[in-house]
Amino acid sequence: MTFMHIGKDFTPPDVEGKVTGTARYAEDFRRDGMVFARLLTSPIPSGRVVSIDASEALAMPGVVGIFTADDLPPSAPPANPALAKDFITYVGQPILAVAAESEEIAEAAIERIAIEFERRPFVVDPLDTLVEGGPDPYPMGNTLIREGAAAAAGTTASGTAVGSIKWTRDQIASFRAGRFPTGAPWGEEWAYGDVDANFAQCTTVIEEPFVTIGLPHHSLESRTGMAYWENGKCYFHGSLQSQTVGHAQLARMVDVDPANLVFINENTGGGFGSKIFPYPMMAVTGRFAKALNRPLQLRITRADEFYIGSARSGMQGWIKVGLRDNGRVGAVDIAIIGDAGSGGGASGSSAAEHVSIMYQPEAMRYRGMSLYTNTTPRGAQRGPGQNEMAAVLSPIMDKAGRQAGLDLVELRRINAPGPDALIGPRQGTISSSYYPQAIDQAAELFGWEAKKALPRQISATKVRGIGVGEGYHSAGASGYDGLLRIAPDGKIHLHTGVGNLGTYSYAAVLRAAAETLQCSWENCVIEHGHGENHLPHSTYQGGSNTIFTETRSSHVAALDAIRKMKQIAAADFGGAVDDYSIGGERVFLSSDNSKGYTYAEVAQKAIELGGEYSGQVFAEDLNDTTKRSVQAMQGTGLIAAAKDTLPKTGTTPGFAVAMVEIELDTETGKFDILDYTGIAECGTIIHPKGLRQAMNGGGVWGFGMAAYERHVYDPQNGLPANVGLYQAKPPTYLDVPLHMKSGATDMPDPQSPVGSRGIGEPSQGCAVAALMSAISDALDGHLFNRTPVTADMILNHIAQNDFNTGDLKTNTF
Amino acid sequence: MSSHDVMPDMGLYQPVTVEDAAGIARQFSTRGWLVGGGQDTYGWLKDRAKRPEVLIDLKGIESMRGIRETADGIEIGALVTLTELTTNSLITGRYSLLAEAAGRVASPQIRNVGTIAGNVAQDVRCWYYRRGLNCYRAGGNLCYADTPEGMNREHALFNASRCVAVTASDTGPALVALEAQMVIHNGSSERVVSAENFFVGPNIDITHTTVLRPGEILTAVRIPAKWANAEFYFEKVADRNVWDFALVSISAAMRVNNGVIEESRLVAGAVEATPRRLDRIEQAIRGKARNQQTADEVAALAIQGARPLNFNHFKMPLLENLVNRAVRGHA
Amino acid sequence: MEIIRYRRDVWGEEVILGVSWDLLWVVAVTALILLAAHAIFMAVLAKKKAKPSSEGPRIKRHDAIDRAFHWIMAGSVLVLILTGIAPIVGLRISWLNIHWIAGLVLTFVVIFHIIRAIFWQDFKAMLLGPSDFKEPFDEKIKPGKYSFEQKGMHWAMTVLVIAVIATGIILFLHINTPWWNRPAVENEATLGIFFLLHGTATLGLIAFTAIHIYFAVRPEKIFYTRSMVTGWISEAEMKENHDTNKWKPE
Ligand SMILES: Cc1cc2nc3c(=O)[nH]c(=O)nc-3n(C[C@H](O)[C@H](O)[C@H](O)COP(=O)(O)OP(=O)(O)OC[C@H]3O[C@@H](n4cnc5c(N)ncnc54)[C@H](O)[C@@H]3O)c2cc1C
Ligand code: SF4
Repeated sequence: MTFMHIGKDFTPPDVEGKVTGTARYAEDFRRDGMVFARLLTSPIPSGRVVSIDASEALAMPGVVGIFTADDLPPSAPPANPALAKDFITYVGQPILAVAAESEEIAEAAIERIAIEFERRPFVVDPLDTLVEGGPDPYPMGNTLIREGAAAAAGTTASGTAVGSIKWTRDQIASFRAGRFPTGAPWGEEWAYGDVDANFAQCTTVIEEPFVTIGLPHHSLESRTGMAYWENGKCYFHGSLQSQTVGHAQLARMVDVDPANLVFINENTGGGFGSKIFPYPMMAVTGRFAKALNRPLQLRITRADEFYIGSARSGMQGWIKVGLRDNGRVGAVDIAIIGDAGSGGGASGSSAAEHVSIMYQPEAMRYRGMSLYTNTTPRGAQRGPGQNEMAAVLSPIMDKAGRQAGLDLVELRRINAPGPDALIGPRQGTISSSYYPQAIDQAAELFGWEAKKALPRQISATKVRGIGVGEGYHSAGASGYDGLLRIAPDGKIHLHTGVGNLGTYSYAAVLRAAAETLQCSWENCVIEHGHGENHLPHSTYQGGSNTIFTETRSSHVAALDAIRKMKQIAAADFGGAVDDYSIGGERVFLSSDNSKGYTYAEVAQKAIELGGEYSGQVFAEDLNDTTKRSVQAMQGTGLIAAAKDTLPKTGTTPGFAVAMVEIELDTETGKFDILDYTGIAECGTIIHPKGLRQAMNGGGVWGFGMAAYERHVYDPQNGLPANVGLYQAKPPTYLDVPLHMKSGATDMPDPQSPVGSRGIGEPSQGCAVAALMSAISDALDGHLFNRTPVTADMILNHIAQNDFNTGDLKTNTF
Repeated sequence: MSSHDVMPDMGLYQPVTVEDAAGIARQFSTRGWLVGGGQDTYGWLKDRAKRPEVLIDLKGIESMRGIRETADGIEIGALVTLTELTTNSLITGRYSLLAEAAGRVASPQIRNVGTIAGNVAQDVRCWYYRRGLNCYRAGGNLCYADTPEGMNREHALFNASRCVAVTASDTGPALVALEAQMVIHNGSSERVVSAENFFVGPNIDITHTTVLRPGEILTAVRIPAKWANAEFYFEKVADRNVWDFALVSISAAMRVNNGVIEESRLVAGAVEATPRRLDRIEQAIRGKARNQQTADEVAALAIQGARPLNFNHFKMPLLENLVNRAVRGHA
Repeated sequence: MEIIRYRRDVWGEEVILGVSWDLLWVVAVTALILLAAHAIFMAVLAKKKAKPSSEGPRIKRHDAIDRAFHWIMAGSVLVLILTGIAPIVGLRISWLNIHWIAGLVLTFVVIFHIIRAIFWQDFKAMLLGPSDFKEPFDEKIKPGKYSFEQKGMHWAMTVLVIAVIATGIILFLHINTPWWNRPAVENEATLGIFFLLHGTATLGLIAFTAIHIYFAVRPEKIFYTRSMVTGWISEAEMKENHDTNKWKPE
């Protein structure tokens, strides 16, 4: 299929601002009379606020007010409150905000506030709370329990509560030692197939423990917000991944009718899953501004961002994998204890799902639980579950493959999910897959066979390692709205409520509408980033799902426009609607293209006709957000708005495979990445530069996850060691190869009008996994059974000094 | 600790002569704080972990700028930036060891403003201390890092006395290797201290990293001609290749004649609170061929006397390996 | 001027850090003024008595072993004081190892001394009874082996030395030594109290050491110091200063 726009590079409108520095983020906005608010955060990891004495602070000139948990609707554990009072559960948890005429005054005021705390026991490692008699992170326990019935009866707000789960010392000891703890209780469990019978048919069976350490999101743009209230409307400058999907939620949080909330967020400096939906602190910004009746900026500092900006959860786990003699994975048994930090959730089940899709085991069992610790709250981070699983899984699978005498790529190929692949506990289907071709493409581009033949020992102190890794994430949803307006001047305004994370996908997906409308891109105007730009209810920007989901909604909006244009033309020029075509930004009678209208003319006609043509009437199934936007644009052109009801079955998958060659220095424990090749299986490429950027960006962060980034807490006092960005160690440009090769299968997914699916998370998962595999390969297949693997661990391993403990400790060195 | 992230309300002095600067520094003593490039200063202040009342900005003192040739070597003004050290032809030509060390500090942005004086006078990077905890080094009565479960991967192997923090300076070890002399002014008189004696460990002064006393200013660093154009070896191993502190670094200067080491200075960074002179190695390699065999014979001497903590054992093989490389002369 | 120094613990709560070293100067200055005043008073106003002769028969006052104990104790206390205050007064020496080694020496010597005094020496000679308190006010009353001042000084030093040793041992347990590694501090407030007690006892010890040294070198008392070196005093010195009914030397 040849496209006008799809598969071609373009310059998204926000690029210039990013390069020149004129792009504005929430923190850059000022408003007359604006006050500055700052947070006072908890110095203790667990406890409660007994009393707050802010009298001295409030008496300071320039201080305009404080805002505490008492000013917010009550919340109960394990909900992550914006401001803590009765349940402080981690160091750095916000307690109150102070507003003043300047940031300096606000900061000085914070130091004048005296708080009396009561301390409670705390814990930073899930296994330390799981053990009988171990401290609990909350007074009521250590794990999330779902109380559907109680929620229905209205006795718990969220349907969740904190309960307790404990293992015996023996069970903990055997789990730490890499054995499955017999008789231990779990929080969740699923299985399919006959696991034991399938293991019996396997000729290679290995059992390994693993641990992955959580790491902060540390979005480069912290979650600073600015809000002001005018004539009953709340204007909110914020930083979210999604512009409109959380509109109603945000309105509830700041206590305003959704119609009176204007959310402004043109650029977002990263979210990685932590800003998909409105986060608790936004309630403080909005409500504090209202309480003071002044514009208010609540600035979130770099350290605050570490504390409240979410983090990936860690896993402590055990896996048993069996290979049949043909190399097929016969059975997998996996158990995962997820570290949910002080709130949020762990992702053990998604981790297990990753195994289920990537290796298509005949039978599989998962057991898991989510435990709280007194560390920062956790949430989705780029491929939550899947990517950390990919990371620790790849060297483990390598070990199985080596034992079975299989080439590592061959092992993946044999088990690769094709179009008939099944996924997860319910063994659901997928929309399509060309993943086996992706493996071949990667092996070819990387030169796997040739690299395999290269000598392992490069010099006396340098060894080569090559590795392969796989990434997966579901990559598409449906049911969101598309909205566009053709103005009487002929401009086509493409409206989107997708956030702008700097991935340019908010713009790329709109090209599906331009494609369908067969209009020039230059004539299109992107409307996004500001509530007053009349935006539709679009998908959340996260979970690799924008490309698939939003090309569909763009497409249905364009179809709606075409239908309306044809109807208008048919009414004026005669004939049936189906007798009309579009092209060259005109709608015309197919048999006589002189009979027709330009898009500009048809827009003018739409205004004259009114009704559904210019937004006076609209489809009932649209979301309220979209309806409000349509109403606001009534009579300004041809308005097309439609909900995506195109057929969709099964899971829409995004896959990626990567291969890495490293040169590891056995004297320093450091390595250079000599070659990185990543191939995406994300259907049709809609924006080549965007895809390359996703593959490179995901790759870089994958390297970070493999070798540098992690939480470090002192278990003795619950203090985090690496709050600062430089301490959190995202990889730098000198830690990654100058050139990273990437590509894609570029084969269409039948459920997308333009054939494309997303790739955001798999691009990281394949990279971390491939690098872990290569490190292991360089060290003769040694398993660290963890991520990250840092230089010190490699050195300790080479020195054989027994300092890489295999006891599954997390959140510490 | 709340993160403040704005500068506190404090006084600022911008003297243009050393005498004035020293006078102001003397006047405010411990209540004053000298600032060069500010890269080790602003973090302390913004975190409210240190609370001086006035800043004394040295950047206006012209006499402390520039790199000059002297009768016996060169003199580097205290305000010379790390970037200048990596580009100045006197340094890159004769003392490339220092250029290399300076080039591995922090990140390009920090090197563009960070000064050599600030780099050698900077405080340790122990995260507990930087968090603002009142440990020994902050004048308190305990150490949080050297405890049964302390997170002390980056901490010291040698000569810790209560405080187990390590020197963070990358140029310090290079300067000790080059037998640099530190010129210190107190407003009325000048004293010159060898780089080796400039740094002090916690056994001697647990709250300072150098011999500088309140009211004293480091005005210049002199490098004698002795080691000009010698054979040098520098390597810094950090988690990341830029924007990261050393896990261990090695600076070596050698005079080699016909392949035989006549004299050498080897100094390790990030293994104790001061740059660590490896005199045992220096003695052991004197008169030996500069090759792999010699390196293998002596490298283990480097870790004699090491007292590793819970999480820094890896520094022992790392130090040993870096010494091996320095002696044999290549990575 | 502050008396106690406070700091914030790992949780941000205020705890005691130790005694304020401003007091060191107060103690030093006060001791100097008092002793100078005493010296002036003695020089100008006190009745001048003829010094008894050191010639003639010699009376044994201290066994060699006790003299050795005394001087080892004296030496270690001085070393402890010097090394302890070095970092406070800004003297840059590597003090800690010397300090704890001297502390150990002192501890062992004190233990020996206590055992020896209780079981092998005339322990009662050092006891302070109600009658001793009349001694300073009545020139006619002469002491037995030890004068009221000597007993007072001894017991004051005993209390202070035991206090610095006891608190010193607790602090010693909190540093790395060849025998153990430093433990985690469970309660920083308690640690602060030990530092406070150690510091306060040290201040007392400094004051009393100064007084002790002062009297040891005063002309009318220097024969005691000599006896601490040589072991004897002359009969004349004994008769002039002691009641031979109460002290019957061997
Ligand atoms: C993220 C980060 C990474 C870093 N990485 C490294 C690294 O890898 N290697 C490394 O070596 N350092 C590193 N540093 C530390 C350091 O900030 C820089 O190396 C820099 O050189 C400090 O110089 P400055 O002039 O900016 O110091 P300043 O902050 O101005 O001064 C530092 C200290 O020196 C004192 N001082 C400054 N000038 C004088 C003078 N003339 N006389 C007496 N005292 C003086 C100041 O009072 C202050 O105490 C890093 C810092 C940061 C923030
Ligand atoms: S190592 Fe030094 S700086 Fe770090 S906590 Fe201990 S005393 Fe403080």
